[in-house]
Amino acid sequence: MPQLHVNGEAREAPQGIRNLLSYLRFDLGLTGTKYGCGEGLCGACTVLVDGQPLRSCMTTVGAVAGGRVTTIEGLADNGDLHPVQRAFVEESAMQCGYCIPGFIMGTVGLLNREAHPSREQIREALADHMCRCGTYQRIQRAVEHVAGSGVATQGGS
Amino acid sequence: MTAETQGTLAQAAQAGLAIVGEVSVGFPANRSGYGQSTYGNTQPQTEEATWLRVHPDGTATAFAGKVEYGQGIRTGLAIEVADELRLPLEALDVVLGDTDRVPWDMGTFGSQSTARVGLQLRRAAATARETLLRLAADRLDLTLDELVCADGRVTSKSDPTRGLSYADLLQGQSLVEPIAEEPALTSIEDFTVMGRDEQRIDAVARVTGRAVYSQDVQVDGMLFAHVLRPPSFGAQLEAFDASVAEQMPGVVQVAREGNLLAVLAESDEAGELAARVVQAEWSEQPGQPSRWDMPALLLDSGAEDFTMQEAGDLDAGFAAADEVLESTYYIPYITNAPMEPRAAVARWDGGRLEVWAGTQRPFGIRSELAQLFELDEAEVRVIAPEIGGGFGGKSIYAPAAEAARLARIAGRPVRVAYSRIEEHTWATFRPAALIRVKSGFKRDGTLTAWEFRAYHAGERVNIGRRGSETPYDVPNVQVSVARSDSPLRSGSYRSLGGAPNHFAREVHMDEIAERTGLDPLEVRLRNLTHPRFRRVLETTAERFGWGNPLPEGHGQGIAIGLDVGSYCATAVEVRARGSEVRVERVEVAADCGLIVNPEGARNQMEGSVVMGLGTALYEAIDFEQGRLLNAGFARYRVPRIVDAPRINTTFTGDPDTPSTGAGEPAIVPIAPAISGAVFDATGERHQELPILRHR
Repeated sequence: MPQLHVNGEAREAPQGIRNLLSYLRFDLGLTGTKYGCGEGLCGACTVLVDGQPLRSCMTTVGAVAGGRVTTIEGLADNGDLHPVQRAFVEESAMQCGYCIPGFIMGTVGLLNREAHPSREQIREALADHMCRCGTYQRIQRAVEHVAGSGVATQGGS
Repeated sequence: MTAETQGTLAQAAQAGLAIVGEVSVGFPANRSGYGQSTYGNTQPQTEEATWLRVHPDGTATAFAGKVEYGQGIRTGLAIEVADELRLPLEALDVVLGDTDRVPWDMGTFGSQSTARVGLQLRRAAATARETLLRLAADRLDLTLDELVCADGRVTSKSDPTRGLSYADLLQGQSLVEPIAEEPALTSIEDFTVMGRDEQRIDAVARVTGRAVYSQDVQVDGMLFAHVLRPPSFGAQLEAFDASVAEQMPGVVQVAREGNLLAVLAESDEAGELAARVVQAEWSEQPGQPSRWDMPALLLDSGAEDFTMQEAGDLDAGFAAADEVLESTYYIPYITNAPMEPRAAVARWDGGRLEVWAGTQRPFGIRSELAQLFELDEAEVRVIAPEIGGGFGGKSIYAPAAEAARLARIAGRPVRVAYSRIEEHTWATFRPAALIRVKSGFKRDGTLTAWEFRAYHAGERVNIGRRGSETPYDVPNVQVSVARSDSPLRSGSYRSLGGAPNHFAREVHMDEIAERTGLDPLEVRLRNLTHPRFRRVLETTAERFGWGNPLPEGHGQGIAIGLDVGSYCATAVEVRARGSEVRVERVEVAADCGLIVNPEGARNQMEGSVVMGLGTALYEAIDFEQGRLLNAGFARYRVPRIVDAPRINTTFTGDPDTPSTGAGEPAIVPIAPAISGAVFDATGERHQELPILRHR
């Protein structure tokens, strides 16, 4: 049986061709990863696979077999918020909050690649995430804050 | 315990201190307004309910019929209660939107939450504080004057070591108190929590994925429904063949009731796959208008013309003018497009129905379900969990009834969750509008006559009335709003008709500036005496640096607005290059009276600006004969982080003025300000939205 790791736990891959987002949400109950569009356009379903962001709505479970999947639920370390989560709280970078797990996962993925991204790199990396409440300025500030803070921001790998 | 008693007085008799009071604050302030006429299907079945409970451990829970859909109301209400009750914010919990547990409420719309329900909770909390003071006076043998409440304790003013915590006072007690006639509300100088920048009390749940939205609700035995939607609006189901689908793995049944046809499956994916092979025959409604028919349709079908503002003599006003200017403005249908598509889970237990639905109107949906199934309202419980955006639209919430109907057929709980395409197609739309403005003015820019005729699509006559009156001083004025036919299902949206009406009026003011050779700021100031309006306008202009030189290809625009009792002015700088327009920065000044949570209010201003930027530049629903042509984010552009400007907000309100809405006012002036800035940059006048379609 092919295996995958979800938030550090080994799982046997389910039978058949399965959508990763549905598997996470309905088989594992990890509903922090959201359905937003089903077309890979809004970023609400973003998870990390081996530390890099992936649109789970457009991915099969089989495609990530052998990989390490991190969802928003797996980001905090023993209850301590990840620095990116903390920055979003501190900047009040949210309204309804539905898109926020996706933004946070996208940000952690960015910081895994580039520890000190420029303003433009942040905008580019998060350009395919949508926040209809329009909290972009706060999100930008939260990411700049954590990127400039010098704290270790690695996660989900 | 039945639903009826849980949400009302019987619930009160638990350990601790319960404060009960009337539920009528759940009506909107303006009972003839949009909310009342549109959603007035729900009435309170009891007069009183529990608003606040101070527990024997000294913490407290507030109850309100409002819902949290991004506006931060849970935090706002908690702050108000914390201040009145002298408790730290962490000791406060707020229960919202569960019809079995909270006071009746008509719905969360029109920026009423802070103004009305917040005040009721403050009154409840002040009553609780006075009750705790009395308890302490008895126990400590001191007079009320000698005692003070702070940080969850009642202590002697002269000897702070003498005191009792709320927990001490409530040990073994089970008290119920009505809200006092005139509770001593805390004066503003004594606020310790209110007015500070507070992080949201529900922020951690949102960044950890623990916050549960209706899309996330799962109950035991739940089936996943995939509804087969008609190919066009108004199509009727004639026949269907589900023989192949029914044999597919995971499919439990294909259910039909009237026009509702759905695959019910054990998993989301099985249902989705099977729904693709159901053969359905629909009879479509021919002759439905298309998007290019709209301007003529709005004009020709305009009915129920309603006069919003009338003074003086228009003819005399035009005769006295140096110049008369006539313009027509067109604003297309747009979609709310909240990030969370609607979803509902329904569960029957005998004759009792429970529905989780992320609606702005849990009590209204409860009334609809009770009516549909001929139940007593007490037999229906609607729970609104966290709501992933709505912006007015989620007052109408069809999946609640769909899930309940299918669950009754299946004999198991059923989940109906809209896809993104369904959300765009089968929700509601902000109505299209066509507005004609004729003005007369002197060479110095002062208005002599103002004729404003608006035609808003929609079934409801007052959908387009909001914000149609002009705030400018003009002796001869007539403003009227008509209701026109709507080929698409119209519904609410942030500020509703207010934004289209403001767009027409404010762009027209820019045109008067152009004709008279005046600056757009100057022409506004010359016609504006209202002090609160002048303050926001002057503040915005000053903070923006209005009139300072801008780089090549950049332009500036400015506009004012009034919505939900709040005054707002917005100045923008755009950069126009090729076919693209980028909004570089936005300066907002708003007067919302007393600000409970400045951080929350600023967040709402920024959100309104970004949302209004989308309506100004990109958004329009394309439709042809009952079919949507641009459903989904691939074809319908909304603002992204790369489109977001820098936004700075200043609040100019007087803290002695009552709180007015913060969630909507900043959306009304942004589109005309952008239009003005594009004109300044390019010389192109945009009277039609969205601007990028017409460049």
